[in-house]
Amino acid sequence: MIDPLFLEGIIKILFVFVLISAGLIISTRNLSSVLTTYTVQSFLLAAVSFLLYLIDGKGELLLLAGLTLASKVILIPYFISRIEEKIKIGRDLHFAYLEPTTSLLLSIGIILLSYTFLSKVFEDLPLSKLFFFGAVIGLSLTLMGMLVMFSRKKVVTKALGYLSMENGVLMFGLFVTELPFIIEVLIIIDLIILVMLTTILAVGMDSSIEEYRQKFRKLQVWTGVESQ
Amino acid sequence: MNILLETLVYGAIAALVSGTVLPLLYRSKNTRKTAFGLSLISSILLLVFAGTVLYTGKEPVFPAIGFLPGLDFTLAADRLSAGFILLIAAVVPGVSIYSVEYVEHAKSEDGKNLQAALTNLFILAMLMVVLAGNMVGFLIFWEIMSLSSLLLVLHNYSSEENKKAGFFYFVMTNISTAFLFLGFISLFRLTGSTEFGPLEYAAGELTLPFLSLFVGFGVKAGLVPFHKWLPYAHPAAPSSVSALMSGVMLKVAVYGFLRFLLSISTPELWWGVLILTAGSLSALFGVIYALKENDIKRLLAYSSIENIGIIFTGIGLYVIFGVEGLETLALLSLVGACFHSFNHALFKSLLFLCAGSVVHATGTRKIEALGGLVKSMPATSALFMIGSVSIAALPPTNGFAGELLLYQAFFQSFAVTDPLLTVFLIIALSSFALTGALAAALFVKLFGITCLAMPRSEKSRLAEEVRKPMLIGPAVPAAFCILGGLFSKQLLSLAGWKIEFPDLLLLGFLLGLIYAALFVLIRTRTKETNPSRISETWRCGIPTVAPYMEYSSAGFSEPLVMIFKSVYRTKIVHRAEYLDRQESLVKNGNVEIRLVRFFEEYLYIPPARAIEGFSKYVSKLQNGKLDSYVLYAFLAVIVLTIATGGFV
Repeated sequence: MIDPLFLEGIIKILFVFVLISAGLIISTRNLSSVLTTYTVQSFLLAAVSFLLYLIDGKGELLLLAGLTLASKVILIPYFISRIEEKIKIGRDLHFAYLEPTTSLLLSIGIILLSYTFLSKVFEDLPLSKLFFFGAVIGLSLTLMGMLVMFSRKKVVTKALGYLSMENGVLMFGLFVTELPFIIEVLIIIDLIILVMLTTILAVGMDSSIEEYRQKFRKLQVWTGVESQ
Repeated sequence: MNILLETLVYGAIAALVSGTVLPLLYRSKNTRKTAFGLSLISSILLLVFAGTVLYTGKEPVFPAIGFLPGLDFTLAADRLSAGFILLIAAVVPGVSIYSVEYVEHAKSEDGKNLQAALTNLFILAMLMVVLAGNMVGFLIFWEIMSLSSLLLVLHNYSSEENKKAGFFYFVMTNISTAFLFLGFISLFRLTGSTEFGPLEYAAGELTLPFLSLFVGFGVKAGLVPFHKWLPYAHPAAPSSVSALMSGVMLKVAVYGFLRFLLSISTPELWWGVLILTAGSLSALFGVIYALKENDIKRLLAYSSIENIGIIFTGIGLYVIFGVEGLETLALLSLVGACFHSFNHALFKSLLFLCAGSVVHATGTRKIEALGGLVKSMPATSALFMIGSVSIAALPPTNGFAGELLLYQAFFQSFAVTDPLLTVFLIIALSSFALTGALAAALFVKLFGITCLAMPRSEKSRLAEEVRKPMLIGPAVPAAFCILGGLFSKQLLSLAGWKIEFPDLLLLGFLLGLIYAALFVLIRTRTKETNPSRISETWRCGIPTVAPYMEYSSAGFSEPLVMIFKSVYRTKIVHRAEYLDRQESLVKNGNVEIRLVRFFEEYLYIPPARAIEGFSKYVSKLQNGKLDSYVLYAFLAVIVLTIATGGFV
């Protein structure tokens, strides 16, 4: 049996890495790097879940770690890398509303906000420091994912932002709300379907949403007739 | 006893439900007849039911019907609801009989059937609102009532006028419902229950429910300044529906307000002052606007505003006297308000039905274009006169009896000790008296210009008497009007109110004797001296007597319009173009004289403009870009986080 305090120390270190990965997703322009970062982030989450299992001994946490590993580290990144191969475009250069630097600065604000907010909310609850930090990082990760969604132009990056948002929800659930396992499973199934759909609709993956719509109109995808 | 009462109510409900469903299933004249027959039957059942409850004082509660978890509603009847059921039951027979013929004038077969079905649904909804034992049922049926009447207002939906009326009515009725929701929710927060029941709370805690319910019910009842929908909706609806809307639906709102007010043990004085002020203003403004009106149905709609004002005057007096501890006077005012509600339901439905006949026979709603109907439509004119006499509160009709109760309450208000309050009551009394006088003038004008003298237009000259059902229909409320007046003392004591009230039967008898004696006297005197004098009318040198020489509607009201110039706010707009710079040679121009629609232009349109401007600004946010929408969501989340964290 490993010493729980030691495990908690490792989890805290992993927290730092999760935050770094979130920062990277916000600022990286290379699409494949974003995907790698997301994979790493998911892996970190699986690891956190596994370590928590070692501390608590709840079987659900182990299952969750396995599920995360299978879906978010292997399956989803596989699909997305297929898309990226197809669209042959490696970089997301344009931004809406926010440049990466401002986004990073804003993220710091978000983390501070989550911290003060949650310390107010949890002041009466007997929550240990570790769980409190987990919750703070979960909330910040969710908000930072959202930040990615509206500040990046390319659809692939938007999808990755969404996925990273879900990671934040998972993280928050792990530490605070004891999300029922079944719901987590449902969310993951949802995500996989989302990613599969994106793969199918990969015709315009390299474009922004507006260009995407243009392409659809041109191809008349919905009527099934290909125009000139 | 309870079983009998239950059977009566369920029977009436069943009749109305089948009256609603049948015309939707089968399209034929007979089905429509059956539908109106069913509403007639239901009203008879209700008449017996309400009479029994009022007479015996039994308060039946029916088993709860749970139709959704947590949303069960009960039916219950006490003396208050029985009084208003009686009101429904008194108006519906006339309307049903009238509608059998009237509805056949609708354009399409579908329209006729729909009108029959919706009329039944409308009656049913009003009945259920009065019977509702808790707020859930009340609101559900309130909405059904509003929707069915909206559809009836929109019966001729292709015309622009109807569309506008329908839209106005829709908006106002929704505002009313919104305020009711607010009021009921705040009550629910206070009591934790949806039942109507005694509210043993300090008046301070009830301020929000009171204000929101006052506005909510006030909008529906057509109280000034929320009255704007009435003059649009009533003319647009079929006349039989106007009779129901004005006669019954406005009273349902009064009922709701009374239901709330009577459950409070200690209201505050300012509530009473507020209600009385709103009532007096409604009464006065209603009649003043009506005087100017030239459209027969719109005139009646304005007169409804006046009468609602009278009813609220009574309610205001009830609250004031109640707070001052004058129990007898409070009861007197309350009975006055209730009795006037009942009376107004009768004579206003009578007048609307007659107006419907007149409009049908002549094809115009303009009073100026009518005249001489007493010769071509004698029966309708007679009924119209009974309605006019009642509403003008002349003895011995029921209108007189109702207003007499309120006058009695006013006259005894010297018992109030507060000098300021006394002055206020005296002002209210004088405005009330002025209203009464103006109302009398109004109906002299309406009846005189419409029915007497020579026809003013070809349409009016060619008018023919309407068919029997359209005469028997209004005859029912007309009979009630006279009987209700003559037997008012007996009726009030039968209903269990022990109040001082003169016997109008005796008064009526004496009046009859005096009239007969005068008639005989004049007859014999003139016979002795000069049987008749035949001579030429002086015609200002014009060879024949022409209709345009008659006193017109506008001419009749002109002196009053002059007196109340400040209320009508006549606006004169000049516009001219000049040929030269000195502005002495006019190229062209026009002068427009119009009435400022005060409440519309100063109360409704400015906020509407503001909202419109704001919406334009907001619509810029909707730019069709996904990024922006996610950004909004993001900002919303951040704001929420800050707010729930307690930082603001």
